[in-house]
Amino acid sequence: MGSEPDWERIMTAIGWSFVEVAARLLERGEREAVLGDLLEAGESGLQGVLDVFGLAVRRQLGLWKDWRPWLASFGMALPGSLLLMGFSLSVSQTYQRLIHPTIFKATGLTVGPGFTLFLCNVFLLIGWSWTGGFVMGSISRRTVRVSAIISFLPCVFCLARFRVESLSRFCLLLFLLPAVWGVCHGLQIAQIKLRSALILAAAITLLTIPTWTSKGSWIPNWALSWPAWYLVAMAWRSEARKERERWRTN
Amino acid sequence: MLGEFEYLMITAAAGLGDKAYGAAIREEIEHTTGRKCSIGALYTTIERLEKKGLLTTWMGEATPERGGRAKRMVRVTPKGVKAAKDFYDVVIRVSRGASWVANRTGSAS
Repeated sequence: MGSEPDWERIMTAIGWSFVEVAARLLERGEREAVLGDLLEAGESGLQGVLDVFGLAVRRQLGLWKDWRPWLASFGMALPGSLLLMGFSLSVSQTYQRLIHPTIFKATGLTVGPGFTLFLCNVFLLIGWSWTGGFVMGSISRRTVRVSAIISFLPCVFCLARFRVESLSRFCLLLFLLPAVWGVCHGLQIAQIKLRSALILAAAITLLTIPTWTSKGSWIPNWALSWPAWYLVAMAWRSEARKERERWRTN
Repeated sequence: MLGEFEYLMITAAAGLGDKAYGAAIREEIEHTTGRKCSIGALYTTIERLEKKGLLTTWMGEATPERGGRAKRMVRVTPKGVKAAKDFYDVVIRVSRGASWVANRTGSAS
């Protein structure tokens, strides 16, 4: 009988550890106040979890009243991941065609024709993935988890249905590393300088030139290139604002 | 114009004065209305009212009964007082012709 309070204490501790985990969905300041309020009110672990989830859901829904999360998720994450998976596959197939493993083993680096185009495509894949990730991270930081989930859904679908025997299914995910790198940068710095943005956008546009001759390529080209030009527009707006403020203070 | 819950929140915070913070406001609302007030409704309304300039908030002291966690203190701004007073006046004006108000007036006389 004496073990009942111990049992209750253990259950309360377990319940509270769930509340603390759920509270990670909230921002630091709010987390502190909410956990303190729940503790002060003597709420049970289950009620605490429900309360915290309720607040987190309300917070997320509130963010979606703005246009930015929609653009980041459905203008960038979803179509971007689909198109970049296709492009990753294309780059992998070109690699396989150009640099055959047996030739590579026998003679060192032996490259076939079209190697320059292959290199262009590799840089383009990195550029598109990084700028897409950067825009996704910077445009709506607080909904970046949802955007990430939305971008992973087509990946899971395509990985499950991948049927090319000569290639590993992970070839579809070549874009992932530079994209994650871009998201991290986007979350940290939100904006890049105008000169860097212009160089990046111009380089990406130049790298797309070889694909201009093929029919129907302009849709994926623009769907993946707009983030680079969006970065230019944002950097230009920021510079213009700074210039106006400088004029005002002088 | 304020919503019903916004009015309750401002009134509860004004009544608590310097002791107005999340848990105290929640308890005050639940005690006076007899209705459950969720943490989600409380904190999203506090944020909305703060954005409208009707409340100000800041992180206050931590107490042992809160496990050493800080309180989110709340103060009603002059703009908030005016908004609550306007809401109250509207409720009084619109209620004049209502049967329950008339009955109460009748029974009093």
